Amino acid sequence: MRKYHLVRRADAQFKRTLIYYAIGILVSLTIGAVILAALGINPFEYYGRMFSIGLIGNRYGYKSIEGLLKIFVPLLITSLALSLSFKMRFWNIGGEGEFLIGAIAASIVAFNCSGLPNFVTVLLMCLAAMISSGIIGIAVAALKVKFNTNETLMTLMLNYIMLYVIRYLGETKAEWNFFLEEESERPIFGTFPETAFMGGIPIGPFKLLWSVIFAVLLTVIVYVYLKYTKQGYEISVVGDSSATAKYAGMSVGKIVLRTMFISSALIGLAAAFTVSAAGTISDTITNDVGWTGIIVAWLSKLSIPAVFVTAVLISILQYGCQAAATQYPAIDINYADLLQGLILFSVLVADFAANFRIVRKEDAKNA
Amino acid sequence: MLDVFTLFLFNIIVYNIPLLYGTTGEIMIEKSGSLNLGVEGTMAIGAVVGYLAGAKTDSLLVACLVSFIASGLVGALFSFLTVTLQANQNVTGLTITTFGVAFYYFIGNALSNSAGGWPKLNGTAFDMQSQPIHIPFISDIPFVGKALFSHGILVYVGILIAVLMWFYFNKTVPGLKLRAIGENPAAADSLGVNVTLYKYTHIIIGSGIMGLGGLYMGLNLGGAFEGSNCWINGYGWISIALVIFANWSPAKALLGTLIFGFFNTLRVQNAALAYAFPDALGWLTKIPSHFFSALPFIITLIVLIISSLTSKGRSGEPQAIGRNYYREDR
Repeated sequence: MRKYHLVRRADAQFKRTLIYYAIGILVSLTIGAVILAALGINPFEYYGRMFSIGLIGNRYGYKSIEGLLKIFVPLLITSLALSLSFKMRFWNIGGEGEFLIGAIAASIVAFNCSGLPNFVTVLLMCLAAMISSGIIGIAVAALKVKFNTNETLMTLMLNYIMLYVIRYLGETKAEWNFFLEEESERPIFGTFPETAFMGGIPIGPFKLLWSVIFAVLLTVIVYVYLKYTKQGYEISVVGDSSATAKYAGMSVGKIVLRTMFISSALIGLAAAFTVSAAGTISDTITNDVGWTGIIVAWLSKLSIPAVFVTAVLISILQYGCQAAATQYPAIDINYADLLQGLILFSVLVADFAANFRIVRKEDAKNA
Repeated sequence: MLDVFTLFLFNIIVYNIPLLYGTTGEIMIEKSGSLNLGVEGTMAIGAVVGYLAGAKTDSLLVACLVSFIASGLVGALFSFLTVTLQANQNVTGLTITTFGVAFYYFIGNALSNSAGGWPKLNGTAFDMQSQPIHIPFISDIPFVGKALFSHGILVYVGILIAVLMWFYFNKTVPGLKLRAIGENPAAADSLGVNVTLYKYTHIIIGSGIMGLGGLYMGLNLGGAFEGSNCWINGYGWISIALVIFANWSPAKALLGTLIFGFFNTLRVQNAALAYAFPDALGWLTKIPSHFFSALPFIITLIVLIISSLTSKGRSGEPQAIGRNYYREDR
């Protein structure tokens, strides 16, 4: 009846995958260029400005690097965290919500512990964020393990519940609400005391924040954890088949709970880093990393080194769009999201081409 | 005093029917065993493309058709990626949302900055066609006439779609086959049902229905483009929640729309109610509006957990939902 059918390639070659991915990205950039040209903008000039993130011909180039890193750090950590749970086939799409819980917890510490030294305050903020996000992660995991509640939908609902919680905090003038600027008539989020700001190493006018160094370090740690520890091995077995894991004598429930705690706690950490670097909190503090992180994790096929590279590229894309907007007012930041979508669609096609072959029925029979 | 209630009931319907479109569209897709998290983006694309076509031709019919086709194409993309290319449904759906909402803003900003500007709705024939229709006698019935029988045509189309879909799922052979695919695609395939064709068709139609809901939202908001606020404004996500609340039934989706709509309207009109009945309903103003906004998600979370605690047998959730069907793995 059907002349052609699909066969999974037995040999998924790294080199072939890479070439197909590159073609996919090139195709999406070309489509993006066509859109730009249709609006009367020279795509080469625009891309040039975007990928150089405003560094060229800029006396304050270090500011661009700082801006880029502000986008990069939360995106990298969130993507790493999501990769952990996705490797287990646990669909944690609640990155946004977990990030917001962490941000709120860290801000509670920041607003209330002004007497402590800088290092202690930031450490407490990180701990508070990690624990509160982690608890939410465990709660979701427990329901999934115990009652098989759909984790995709559960985490999705939590994203929106948390969004309204933070909006409530940001828009309600009240005696108890220490989140807000006291002097302001209109409700706006207050600024953290000096001691809650993220420190760093000054290099000339540029300041390399501790959070950046730690994020890079964390990539190595997660890589080693997944590749060389027993717990990391357990995660991959559960991901491949929870039945196999059960027969091998692993306690699947425990592994899921543990991994989800780590995953959510890391997202909480990303949030603490973000609010501490920004010195304040807002309802757009996530910058959509919960969603973008999913795209990054998937583009990287959940490989940790690839997550690092992809997070760099997506950050350049996003920051580059912001930087180019000063020159091209008609093209705003949404162009980055548009390109991101196009890239993912074409990479999904590339991924398929790298892993499947289309075979004629007769040939398959003869083979 | 009756006016407050009439207006309340009227608003429940007029502002929340887009939820019904989003929900019935998503139910159709989920019944085929696919979870499409791209509702928000699909609605956004259908809304902006349909609106622009309608403004250009000055015809509501053209707007609806183009909106349906544009969103249907998004559905075709989703089907191609997940059904044919076996891509992950969650990731594909979420990317459709990112892409679709960005597309909405991108087109809107580009047009607003162009020489012609964003096309206005006010006073055009297109505008007239989307206005409430007045049915003689029925629309004049006190209370219910205004609340139930004086809406724009798209309100009744939305309700009609829900009714027809209920009939389709429960009383027709293709509907039965579709549900079989959602429960167990391998079994349906072995009985000779063309799984791929069914999935494609229903994902495309479901997405098209969402597009109509998006168009409705745009028209209801007067068709004005604002740089910072998307017409869809989270209704796509509430629709996904509503599918669960409605237990995957188009009939219950209608009921669910009214219930979620009730809270939605309460958020907007709590001050009016409290003013009309200071003694009985004065406490309404004390509840923050954020609580009403979050309520659909809170209720759905609770429903989700409770229904997983109780027996799975009565749940309308398709058993194969979210998993791709790869024939060779059978």
